[in-house]
Amino acid sequence: MELEQLWQSILGEMEVQISRANFATWLKNSRLIDKKDGTFYIGLPNNFAKEWIENKYQKNLLGIIRNFDSSAKNLKFVVVSSNPKTATKKDLAQDLMSFENRISLDFKIDPETNLNPRYTLDSFIVGPSNELAYAGASSIVKELGLKYNPFFVYSGVGLGKTHLIQAIGNAVGAQYPGKFRPRYVSSEKFTSDIVWGIRNKRMEDIKKKYRDVDVLIIDDIQFIGGKEKTEEEFFHTFNALYEGNKQIIISSDRPPQAIPTLEERLRSRFGGGLIVDIGYPEYEVRVAIIKSKLQGLNRDLNQVVIELIANRIKKNIRELEGVLNKILFYQERKGVDITEKIAQEIIEKSAQNLSRRVSDAQIIKAVSEFYNISTENILGRSRKKQVVEPRQIVAFLLRDILEMSYPYIGEKLGRDHTTAIHAYDKINQEINKNSSLNQKIILIRDMIYKD
Amino acid sequence: MKVVIVRSNLKEGLGIISGASGENLNLPILKHSLFDVSDNRIKLTTTNLEIAASFLIPGKIIEQGNATIPLGIFQNLINNLQSERLNIEKNKNSIEIKTDNYQALIQGLAPEDFPIIPKISDENKNEFIEIDSGVFKEALSQVVVGTQFSDLRPELNSVFFNFSLENIKLVATDSFRLAEKTIPSSQFKTNHKNTFKLLVPLKTNQELLRILKEGEVLKIYHDLNQILFKTENLEFISRLVDSNFPDYTAVIPKKFDSEIVVNREELVSALKLAGIFGSRFSEIKIRVPEAKKTVEVWSVDETVGENHYFLTAKVQGKAKEANFNWRHLLDGLKAIRGGEVFLGLNSEDNKPALLKTPSDVFYLYILMPILKT
Repeated sequence: MELEQLWQSILGEMEVQISRANFATWLKNSRLIDKKDGTFYIGLPNNFAKEWIENKYQKNLLGIIRNFDSSAKNLKFVVVSSNPKTATKKDLAQDLMSFENRISLDFKIDPETNLNPRYTLDSFIVGPSNELAYAGASSIVKELGLKYNPFFVYSGVGLGKTHLIQAIGNAVGAQYPGKFRPRYVSSEKFTSDIVWGIRNKRMEDIKKKYRDVDVLIIDDIQFIGGKEKTEEEFFHTFNALYEGNKQIIISSDRPPQAIPTLEERLRSRFGGGLIVDIGYPEYEVRVAIIKSKLQGLNRDLNQVVIELIANRIKKNIRELEGVLNKILFYQERKGVDITEKIAQEIIEKSAQNLSRRVSDAQIIKAVSEFYNISTENILGRSRKKQVVEPRQIVAFLLRDILEMSYPYIGEKLGRDHTTAIHAYDKINQEINKNSSLNQKIILIRDMIYKD
Repeated sequence: MKVVIVRSNLKEGLGIISGASGENLNLPILKHSLFDVSDNRIKLTTTNLEIAASFLIPGKIIEQGNATIPLGIFQNLINNLQSERLNIEKNKNSIEIKTDNYQALIQGLAPEDFPIIPKISDENKNEFIEIDSGVFKEALSQVVVGTQFSDLRPELNSVFFNFSLENIKLVATDSFRLAEKTIPSSQFKTNHKNTFKLLVPLKTNQELLRILKEGEVLKIYHDLNQILFKTENLEFISRLVDSNFPDYTAVIPKKFDSEIVVNREELVSALKLAGIFGSRFSEIKIRVPEAKKTVEVWSVDETVGENHYFLTAKVQGKAKEANFNWRHLLDGLKAIRGGEVFLGLNSEDNKPALLKTPSDVFYLYILMPILKT
């Protein structure tokens, strides 16, 4: 703001010194970008203006600037082009051309940074489950590379990892335009780049590509585990960036200790910065997400329906958005108001996904394999600590995945229904507080669905 | 400044640089051309502050110096003069043009006020691509058909130059269709070590198509904000578009539900005929029957009538019917070389059709069908 005002007063004086035509052509769209150690950086719309001002007005301009700021020593001119894009015009075009069929070209994603501008910190809805992660992200943007490096975010699927880490990249791009270059890459892309580099003997290009950034954002790092050459290259890249005080941001579906095939030296490096997890969103957060999504789409839904969706879909924001989209689509197509009953039906239909293929025996087997305890022990009478937790998890999963009745679960486990209720409630509360338990359950779920 | 120039040379030079002159209410000097006689050459320059063109013309130099001259008036005058030898002399800020039996005095402006033409920055000025101007011009002409001026999508008013060490790809799209031309590395020389991507304004490309001659050596230089095209006599510099070109490779269809190969000339005339009956939206239908050797092109307009055109073709795949804007289809057909043309169609309406010469891997044109209403 200060620069802006200063520049306006400088221009004011300049306007008097040169002819109106010259002023309008050469200086009107200029701005003061930065001043540092007596050097003033002036942004001009094109090279013609740059040449002209450099050759003709440099002295006058410097004289005027000195009057305002005696520290000014020299001027540097940079060409910054303005982007004349307007969203409203584009929408208009879409209306005009709606009978035409277009190639779906994605202009949204910037090919240099690979970031999708849809993800911003402002649109990230903060609740107790992701407060820490959000706070970490915000402070990183303020002190890039210095405060928490690396920044490691982990959570289950569809809880906002990608949103958060891309938002950091976007915030960096917005806050320091042209100064810091963020690059977002999925670990799969990273791997395929390395493979490409090895095959085409162009490893140097790849090295340059990744070490030449100021903020490296890698999504789903767990997938590089076990790919030795990729891990090695990542390790070196990591060190190079870390030493240069470049910010590294990593996401994963589990904490570093739990990525089984990851090499020890990488694991220990990940621990060196800040590790945060994003838990399941609370009810209020889910409602807020639905509401903000509706607002973004300029649509409206009955409060009862919103509450219903928030109540039914608890563990995955992506799924939440999917169901919401389905309901909105239905509303648009049929032109009817969505009642609780219709919403219920839609949710039911979309929720009948994986659960049908899973049997109770599979769940018990997965838990017993995970804890390395025999099925008999889990279903037996022992109340040792190492058996109790698996048993409660079995009860929880039977209820959560298969929606079995408590009496039936009780019977399965050789206990009565109150025990089953207690087990379910306990785990259900615990997973929101205890992230290592949550992690275990995610891994067990993986095992169940993998079969 | 004093020179003697042959009229046809001057006429040619003015024609080439005229496209870069501009209308600018603030700066009347942009309507002028700079006449610069120094270092034993005569150079004409115009600019509109987006592009600038300079051209060297042969002539006899008697005295060096420079002057500006209003381009429109000068061009008019040169076109209508009969004499071949022109004596041009600067007299204060006016220009005097003299032949044996004719004399004119044109008011100029102070040459110091003419914009300084920017140069490629020092760190980039030694890196270039060298290519035959005819090859480049041909490639460009095949690509610019893929787009058109649109105020609504300014980011598409450009041609994408994608340089990798193996080839240069030129791409243009207006989101209804897309044209891609690949120039393999055997057709150009370069000392670039790294790949790069540029967006060159459509206007620049159209101007290049107009002024480039065939059979010359064209050198292309660029830096962060500008690109320079240079031949022996011509220097053409343009700003670059600071934007991103979408990753279009994903939309190029690889498989087709039905594939046809037809004679290109025949399809062109079929389209022109169908175009007569094309409705308001220039809509025509192409119908590919299953296991037959003909393709039907037909169009209908309630107020005019309808027509059907049957073409012999090699047909593979399923039966299929698709609607297209015939002008867009014709644009692509005209850009394709060779006697036969391949057309690949897909049954899903949100997938584009692909047009190319059957064996040619260096050019392709894709086009969205019109949705059936």
